Amino acid sequence: MGSPCEVLSGTDDESLATSLFNLVAGEAWRIEDKFSRYLPGNAVDRINRSDGESIEVDDETANLLDFAASLHDMSDGRFDITSGVLRKAWVFDGSDRIPDDDLVHSILATVGWEKVAWDRPTLTLRPGMQIDFGGLGKEYAVDKAASLAVEKTSAPMLLNFGGDIVATGSLKNSSRWQVGIEALETSARKADRVIRLSQGALATSGDARRFILKDGVRYGHILDPRTGWPIKDAPRSVTVAADTCTEAGMLATLAMLRGADAEEFLRAQNIQFWYQR
Amino acid sequence: MPRIVIRSAVLFVAAILISACSSMGVEAWERDILAKDEMQLPSDPLEAAIDDHIYFSKEASSGGRGFGGGGCGCN
Amino acid sequence: MSRNSKKPLAVSLATATCALLGTTAASPVIAQEEPVWEFNTALLYYGESNNRVEDISLIVLAQRNFVDDRILTLGLTVDSLTGATPYGAIPFDGPQTFTTPSGLQVRTTPPNEIPLDDTFFDTRYAVSGSWRQPLGRMNTFSAGLSFSGEFDYTHFGANFKLSHDFNKRNSTVSLALAVARDDLDPEGGAPTPLSAMLDVGDLSNRIGDVDKDVVDIVVGFTQIVNRNLLFQVNYSFSNSSGYLNDPYKIISLVDSISGDPLDRMPTPGIAGPSHQYLFESRPDERTKHSLYLQTKYYMNGKVLDASYRFMTDDWDIDSYTLDLRYRWPLSGGNYLEPHFRYYTQSHAEFYRPSIDGGLALPSYASADYRLGEFDAITVGLKYGWETASGNEWSARLEFYTTDGKVPGSLLIGNQAGREIYPDLEAIIAQISYRFGI
Repeated sequence: MGSPCEVLSGTDDESLATSLFNLVAGEAWRIEDKFSRYLPGNAVDRINRSDGESIEVDDETANLLDFAASLHDMSDGRFDITSGVLRKAWVFDGSDRIPDDDLVHSILATVGWEKVAWDRPTLTLRPGMQIDFGGLGKEYAVDKAASLAVEKTSAPMLLNFGGDIVATGSLKNSSRWQVGIEALETSARKADRVIRLSQGALATSGDARRFILKDGVRYGHILDPRTGWPIKDAPRSVTVAADTCTEAGMLATLAMLRGADAEEFLRAQNIQFWYQR
Repeated sequence: MPRIVIRSAVLFVAAILISACSSMGVEAWERDILAKDEMQLPSDPLEAAIDDHIYFSKEASSGGRGFGGGGCGCN
Repeated sequence: MSRNSKKPLAVSLATATCALLGTTAASPVIAQEEPVWEFNTALLYYGESNNRVEDISLIVLAQRNFVDDRILTLGLTVDSLTGATPYGAIPFDGPQTFTTPSGLQVRTTPPNEIPLDDTFFDTRYAVSGSWRQPLGRMNTFSAGLSFSGEFDYTHFGANFKLSHDFNKRNSTVSLALAVARDDLDPEGGAPTPLSAMLDVGDLSNRIGDVDKDVVDIVVGFTQIVNRNLLFQVNYSFSNSSGYLNDPYKIISLVDSISGDPLDRMPTPGIAGPSHQYLFESRPDERTKHSLYLQTKYYMNGKVLDASYRFMTDDWDIDSYTLDLRYRWPLSGGNYLEPHFRYYTQSHAEFYRPSIDGGLALPSYASADYRLGEFDAITVGLKYGWETASGNEWSARLEFYTTDGKVPGSLLIGNQAGREIYPDLEAIIAQISYRFGI
């Protein structure tokens, strides 16, 4: 997952806590092993090395691809799981190195879900294209792990996969979890925000550590797949509360992809959100 | 009761408590129950203040756990 | 490609997520930012039987939490007091007439009734503010101011408290200091102690405004015993000096044999008291010591809160208070809390129901029932419930009754067969709401 993951359970039954931990960790590792682009031989790696050949995928992968397709459509192309190759041009390490227009342009030729032939269960990518579930993998994993855990117990639980959070269990406010959202040093807020989560999910999208700073302009790490360039004037951080982490994460990401219109977009969704500029 | 007896008793009890208490207590991660609202001193400061005020105006004693926010023309 | 419907994207996203996760919609999210302001408000009714004192109060406490455990607390109380209160004169088998505290009217009490002054009404406003913050890693400091005003009484106070945690924060010692200056401006002016109650319009025995100073010091020690148990011990010292009398209380001058109030010759054509009454007199200093112990014990969801206080002072009053509360949780964050309090005090050295008219006047004398010897019991029940958004309501109903004893040695003649002490019975009803914004 690339981030520390934890499970907090409000139970004094040690064997239950241990088995919950194993269940959640097991599901997280299963999903990572299957969908990480770093592991040779797994489902995603086979797709990325298909070099134009058609690949047949299983149900779970097909569901994720269907979901990615709907998101691409809903967001008018801003959300695109084929945009990962742009990392060859952009390195967000706090330096001031921005790539050549030509380089970005040439990579853009291999970006675009509309260039993919997806006819369930067969996926065909053009040569040079890659898919990357990084934008929704963690949120998906925490939702799947949570639904397994809920089948096992109704004790209150908090699953935190690197800031993608789900709370389950008893409804009452006596089992509220307190989730802190870090205040960025450059934002107006001095104190971390604290959100009380009784049930549901929280996800945060932000550029706290990955950015490029050149000529006083800050480029966040979220790239617009239609232009190949970082989104301008996006908020520094957006946190969304939703029923599932997948929804929360997607809404946070889609908001960031709107740049200056992020707040307006979020307000139109009738959900709870918090942001820092 | 003579003043000196009471004062000595207070100091004596205090000394015993403080020395005995260094071995009592919990670790930082054992404060779950102690963090609950109903285990705070006082659990309802508003009600404590109201009661203190009522009894201050009807009886000759006052306070104990602290002192109230102010006097009034009622005693 | 484009959306024709005006549905927000979030709705289409929810549908797509449902298809992805393969489950029916999860329970709706419940998330709330921690409030910056927390309010605790209450509406209180206090009412004594027999048309005696009735009070309605509105109290609001607001707390603002800042970064790093710094807290600002503001309080406002408004209360309105009406009803009758005992003058301090003793009842006897004839009617009695009194000049009211303002000196403007008279009131008559029927035979065999404890004389009550019903011209008593007042609205009081009280405000307070305090600031609390850490001082280093293991210490906390707080300072506050208080002010209250009624038409005949104003109070100014300041308080400070320093506390130190040690033993892995299992123990805390604290030292607190409060000082106050209260100004009394009684209706008609404060009367000279032991002077006579005079005719309507005669304010010759009044001395105008008076004041008193109060200093309180509290030394406290709190200890966590184990996961379920903690206790607190406090020693308090309090010293009041200045005008400590109740300017409206009187004491009857009685006949040495019968114990009945001595008649008074009224001035012709002017209304005035029917018998001889003197304004009370208390010493101009009072020092109190008290020792207070409180413990809280958690037993599988239920909490027992027990406290005991012993007080002694240089007016010879000793008191003992036992206060028990048992919180019993019900489902859904609701609870029931029965409450029992037992209080007993001995009388002040200068307390007496009346003064023997045949003997020399004592230096100090008061018939104020609050300085007498009595037991008091409070029994009550409180019910609390939580709303879906995490705010809390509570309602309580309590009964408070006192049972006075006047030592035989203080009774003269016919007084022994009469109901001298004004026992009281009161209802306390309160509804509270705690919320954050």
